[in-house]
Amino acid sequence: MIIHANVFSYLIALAAAVILSLILRLPLLPEKPMRQSWTISAVFPTAVLAVGFYAMVYKLGYQGYIVALITGIITALFSKFILEKVVPVPESEESNE
Amino acid sequence: MNEILGIVIAAFISWFNFVLIDTWMGLPEAPGVKGADVIGRSVKARGGDLAGGFFQGNIVCSPDASAGTLLASIACYAIGTPEGGLIAAVLVYFGNRLCADPGYAGTTGALSITIIIFLTSFIGFKPEYFIVGMVLAILTIQGLYHPWASRLLGKIAHKMGRHTKLT
Repeated sequence: MIIHANVFSYLIALAAAVILSLILRLPLLPEKPMRQSWTISAVFPTAVLAVGFYAMVYKLGYQGYIVALITGIITALFSKFILEKVVPVPESEESNE
Repeated sequence: MNEILGIVIAAFISWFNFVLIDTWMGLPEAPGVKGADVIGRSVKARGGDLAGGFFQGNIVCSPDASAGTLLASIACYAIGTPEGGLIAAVLVYFGNRLCADPGYAGTTGALSITIIIFLTSFIGFKPEYFIVGMVLAILTIQGLYHPWASRLLGKIAHKMGRHTKLT
């Protein structure tokens, strides 16, 4: 099977987001049990958001490795600084922690 | 591929996709919000299983793997595979967080059905089969008879070690 060049763009967006979020001191994985954790980590949701955002940008007509790199960087910054403000943890969960 | 046969197979695949992921992610263990608790106890009062009731309540109250599966199928149909599924995963994640849910089940369901749609496209499956299939799959859980469906979900939860400890 021929690997489409677009696959590399997704990998670049994903790698850029994960590496930068680790540099920004987000944990690699949420603490266990993961299914109940609200911690924002490098793998979830940053990596998922990075490929999703790149898919949006790609379908809007902006393609290429540079676009993927920028999308990954912006996603990591978004996860670190903005995500908690946009979609905060519910108060009942905060009081349990 | 024959359309009717494709829809039936897609319904089975979608059913297992969302039930297994939602159970694995602990939906039957506890209600995420008050509404899910009310639904779970109401289902139990009508002869159902409490864990299955919590499962049914949780998928009503927030977009879990069921919604992820349906939205990813729709997005793959409307936007294309795999971009649609990846975009759906992001939207489901934000929907989850808005509904007091950490978002693991929804995004996992959206991503897994995107992979399934991509792989099955090689043997003639179309994303629209999965849209209809998922509607049929969710009908068996939420639309026919809650106590029976909840008992089945409770048995699956018990086998996967996710049965509720609440009474």
